[in-house]
Amino acid sequence: MGQFLQFAINGLMSGAIYALIAVGIVSVYKATKVVNFAHGYLIMFGAYFYFTFAVIVPQAAWAPAWLASWQPDWLVAAKADAPMFSPLGAVLDWVSNLPRIILGISGAVIANALLGRLVERTLMRPLMGQSIFAMIMVTVGLISILSGASSIIWTADAAFVPHIAPNTPVRFSIGDTMIFLFGADLVNMVIALLLFGGIVLWVRYTKSGIAIRATAEDQSTAYSMGISVPKVFSRAWVLACTTGAIAGAILATRNGVSPTLGLFGFSVLAIVLLGGLDSYVGVFIAAMSVGVLEAMTQWKLGGEWAEIVPYVAVLLVLLVRPHGLMGSKEVERI
Amino acid sequence: MINGNLKSSYGSDERIVNNGYKQAFVYGSFLCLAAFALFANDYMILIACQVGILLVAVVGINILTGYTGLISLGHGAFVAIGAYAVTILHNAMDGIVPDALTALIAIPVAVTITALIGIIVGLPSLRVKGLYLAVATLAASFIVIFIVENETFAGYTGGVVGINTPVPNLLGWELDTKREMFIFISVSAVLALLAGQNLFRTRVGRAFIAIRDRDYSAEILGISLLRYKLMSFALSAAYCGMAGALFAYFYARILPEQFELELSLELIAAVIVGGMGRTLGPLFGVILIVLVPELIKVTASVVTNGDTASTRIIAPLQEIIFGLLLIFFLLKEPLGINHIVDRLIRAANRWPFARG
Repeated sequence: MGQFLQFAINGLMSGAIYALIAVGIVSVYKATKVVNFAHGYLIMFGAYFYFTFAVIVPQAAWAPAWLASWQPDWLVAAKADAPMFSPLGAVLDWVSNLPRIILGISGAVIANALLGRLVERTLMRPLMGQSIFAMIMVTVGLISILSGASSIIWTADAAFVPHIAPNTPVRFSIGDTMIFLFGADLVNMVIALLLFGGIVLWVRYTKSGIAIRATAEDQSTAYSMGISVPKVFSRAWVLACTTGAIAGAILATRNGVSPTLGLFGFSVLAIVLLGGLDSYVGVFIAAMSVGVLEAMTQWKLGGEWAEIVPYVAVLLVLLVRPHGLMGSKEVERI
Repeated sequence: MINGNLKSSYGSDERIVNNGYKQAFVYGSFLCLAAFALFANDYMILIACQVGILLVAVVGINILTGYTGLISLGHGAFVAIGAYAVTILHNAMDGIVPDALTALIAIPVAVTITALIGIIVGLPSLRVKGLYLAVATLAASFIVIFIVENETFAGYTGGVVGINTPVPNLLGWELDTKREMFIFISVSAVLALLAGQNLFRTRVGRAFIAIRDRDYSAEILGISLLRYKLMSFALSAAYCGMAGALFAYFYARILPEQFELELSLELIAAVIVGGMGRTLGPLFGVILIVLVPELIKVTASVVTNGDTASTRIIAPLQEIIFGLLLIFFLLKEPLGINHIVDRLIRAANRWPFARG
C-alpha cells in the first residue's frame, strides 16, 4: 500500500506536466482544427531556450556576475549559518539562482512565443481552409525542420539546468506510510495545474477565449460576427508555444536538455486523443490517468515498459470510443 | 496523353500498359535498368538499391494513403517486421532446409506475417479516420519498435544492438555482391510497380478508390468497409514487408533505430512529394527523397573539403531540407512531381499549340 501511494503521487505529478503540454495541442486544435504533431519539438525548443537564457547567457563573459550567481551580503551570511544538506540550504541555493531562473523562464516564453507566431504566419496561415491531411503533414514536415534546426543551433547534449523551485526533499506520512518527494517536483505540479486551470477559465470567461470557442464552432459565422479569425489563430499558437516553453523548462529540469524531448510530444498526442481532442476535462483526466498508469508500470514492470503505456492506452480506448473519452463526435454528411 | 490511344478491341483497352508510349517507356526502362546493372559504378549501385528498396515500401503506402485515403504514420514498423521476420526465419531454417531454398521460403512467409500484423494494426481504421488513424498507426509503430528493442525478445531480435543478416541464395545463385542484389531489388521493384498498377484495374482496386472518395457512399454501393480497409492495410503492409526483406538481405546488419519514426515519415513524404494515387508517384518521390540528401552530402564535402567541423551540420541540414521539401510540395504542388511531369508531357504533346 505504501509503495502504491508513493507511485500514485509520482504519477499524478508527471500527469500534471502531461496536462500542461496537452493544453497546447488542445488549444490549437480548438481554434484552428489543426492537430500539431510538432508540439513536442516546440517544447524541445522551449527547453533549449530555457537552457540558453538560464545557463549559456549568464555564463557569457559580458553578463554581470549577479546573473550567474546572486550573492548579496545577507544571503552569504544566511548560507554560512545554514546547516549542510538542510531544506534551508536548498532554498538559499535556489535564491542565488533566482535571477537566472527568472531570465530563463521569461526568455524561453518570449522566444517560443515569437517562434509560434513565425510558424503560424509562414506555414499555417496559407493552409487555412485546406484539407486536414495537408495540415497534418505540414506539422509533420515541421518536425524535421525543428529537430534539424535545434541540432545546428545547440550542440550540447543532456545539459544540466537549474531547478525552477528549491529542490528540497519533502517527507510526510499518510496513514502509516512515509511519502518521499522532491520540492521542485511538487512546485512543478502546482505550476502546471495552475496554468491548466487558468487557461480553461480564460477560454471559458474572457472575451478572447469566447472568440476562440466561436471560431471552433464555425469559422465563417465567427468572421461575420466581427471576430478576426486570423488573430484567433495566432493567439492560439502563441498560447500553445508559451505553455510549451514552461513545460519545456520543467522537463529540462527533470530529464536534462536533449533532442529526445521532441519524442515526448508523441506520447502527449496519444494522451490528447485518449481524452478527446476538444475537451479540456477529458484531456485532464487522460493525462492524470496515463501519468498514474505509467508510474504503476514503472513500479511493476520496470522503467522501459512505461514509455509505451500511452500508446497502448490510446489504441485500446480508440477501439472502444473512437473519439476519445470525452471528445465530441463529428457529424458527417454524405 | 492525347494521341496514340486508338483501341480496336476491349482487350487492348484493358492491358496494364495500354498505349504505345507507355509500352515504349516500360520496355525502355527495362533496357536502362539492365544497362545500369552492367555499367554503373559501385556508388551508383548503392544509391539505386536504396531507391529500389524504398520504392517497394512506398508503392505499398501509396495503395493505403494514395488510393484508399487512410493516413498511416507508422509504416516504418512494417518494414521492420519484414526485415526481422526474414532474418529470424532464415536463421531458423539454417541447416534444416537446403541453402538454395531458404530465401525463397523465408521471403513469402515474412511477407505473409507482415500482412497479418498489418490487419491487426488496421483494425482501428474501422472506427477512426484521418487524424485518429494517423496517431493510432504511429502508436502501433512505437509499440513494434519497443518490442524489437526489448530485452525479453533480444534472443531473437538482437535488441538495441541489432542483428547480422544472412546472405540470400536463390536456387543456387548466391547474392553476395551489391550488384547482384541490385538485380534482385530492381526486379522486385519493377514487379511491385506493375502489380500496383494492375491492382487498380480490378474490383478490389476500384473499391479502394471508392472508399477514398467517400467511404459512406462506398458502403452504400455495397462495398464492405471492413473487408476492403483491412485488405488495403494488409496489402500495403505486405509491400512494406517485402521492402523489409530486401533491406535485411541488402545490408549486413539491421538495427531497430533504422526503422523508427524517421523511416515512416520518409515513406509518407515520398508518396506526397511524388504524387498520391498515381502509379509513378512513388518512383519520383523516392528518387527525390534519396537523392537530395546525397546531393547535400556531396556538395557539402566539395565546398568544405571534408572539414570535420562542418560535417556535423550535414545531417541536420539534410533533415531541414527534407522538411522543407515536404512542406513546399504540400503548399505549392499538392499533386506532386507526377503532376509536374504530366504538365510537361502534355505541353510537349500539344506543341506548338496551347500549353496547359
